[in-house]
Amino acid sequence: MSMSGESEDADKKGFKLFGILDVQNVPCARESLLFGAGSALAAGLLHFLTTSRVRRSYDVGFAGFFVTTLGSWFYCRINNAKLRVQERVIQQGLRNKVVYQGTSLDPTQTGPTQMGPTQPQPPKDF
Amino acid sequence: MAHPSQLGFQDAASPVMEELLHFHDHALMIVFLISTLVLYIIVAMVTTKLTNMFLLDSQEIEIIWTILPAIILILIALPSLRILYLMDEINNPHLTVKAIGHQWYWSYEYTDYQEIAFDSYMVPTQDLAPGQFRLLEVDHRMVVPTEAPVRVLVTAEDVLHSWAVPSLGVKMDAVPGRLNQTAFIASRPGVFYGQCSEICGANHSFMPIVVEAVPLKYFQDWSTLMLEDA
Repeated sequence: MSMSGESEDADKKGFKLFGILDVQNVPCARESLLFGAGSALAAGLLHFLTTSRVRRSYDVGFAGFFVTTLGSWFYCRINNAKLRVQERVIQQGLRNKVVYQGTSLDPTQTGPTQMGPTQPQPPKDF
Repeated sequence: MAHPSQLGFQDAASPVMEELLHFHDHALMIVFLISTLVLYIIVAMVTTKLTNMFLLDSQEIEIIWTILPAIILILIALPSLRILYLMDEINNPHLTVKAIGHQWYWSYEYTDYQEIAFDSYMVPTQDLAPGQFRLLEVDHRMVVPTEAPVRVLVTAEDVLHSWAVPSLGVKMDAVPGRLNQTAFIASRPGVFYGQCSEICGANHSFMPIVVEAVPLKYFQDWSTLMLEDA
């Protein structure tokens, strides 16, 4: 058991950017940084090709990296948070499924429930 | 549980700890981006050949570096306050356990229905079985049911202690003459380790906390066994 734990820990150690940001294990981190790096390259290159200003192109590239990383990070985390809420609702529903099965609160029931006291039915002439 | 040379948090075993991990990732990414920005500016300042002897009235940059940090702080503060209030929510606990700190062991009492009380001493290194963890194992674990809100009332008999279990996201000071309340929900079955977190004397490092979360059926069996042994 400790041996399997050690191999799992070795896989989980991953790569820490600046020694602090665990890119592999933090959700959305890898995608955000890759998008940021890509847009930095694209923006910097585009600016240089149009203006031939080297230092300003570096600045534009870095600004692209900053804005794209931040934007994609927030977008991904918000979607992630929505998924986690849905996941919790589903888990709660699964837990309640057994409790509510066959009762009026059972969401899978399409017709009137057969259990419990019978309800008076209106005459069919109406 | 913790592993050697670990820097980050342990895996979450409660919903509150999951939220704390998410907030930590959020704040860390912002910190990382600000650090790269500062590093880039330092490199740019150091490598430029330009000098400016008369720098006056840079209104635009002043506005930017006032407004932007304020926005960043708000983006950090909002999730932080959300978690702060989430941790204080009243959750109608199914079980109440009293954790009492002594020099140098913990004792636990389950008094909801009948009296279950026991001491929890660290297992000395020479008495460890193969596979057990040094300085972390105890002779009697605090057993709780999974998926059930548990209230823990923490106090101390003698000096200050602190009852902490990192993977559950719980830490509460044990103060003599005072009852502190905390609560958690163990999302999954498992064994969760913690250590006393307030200096309390010579053996402060040798009074660990072990919480064992088991399905309700096994918790009932355990409590029956404890009552029979008492």
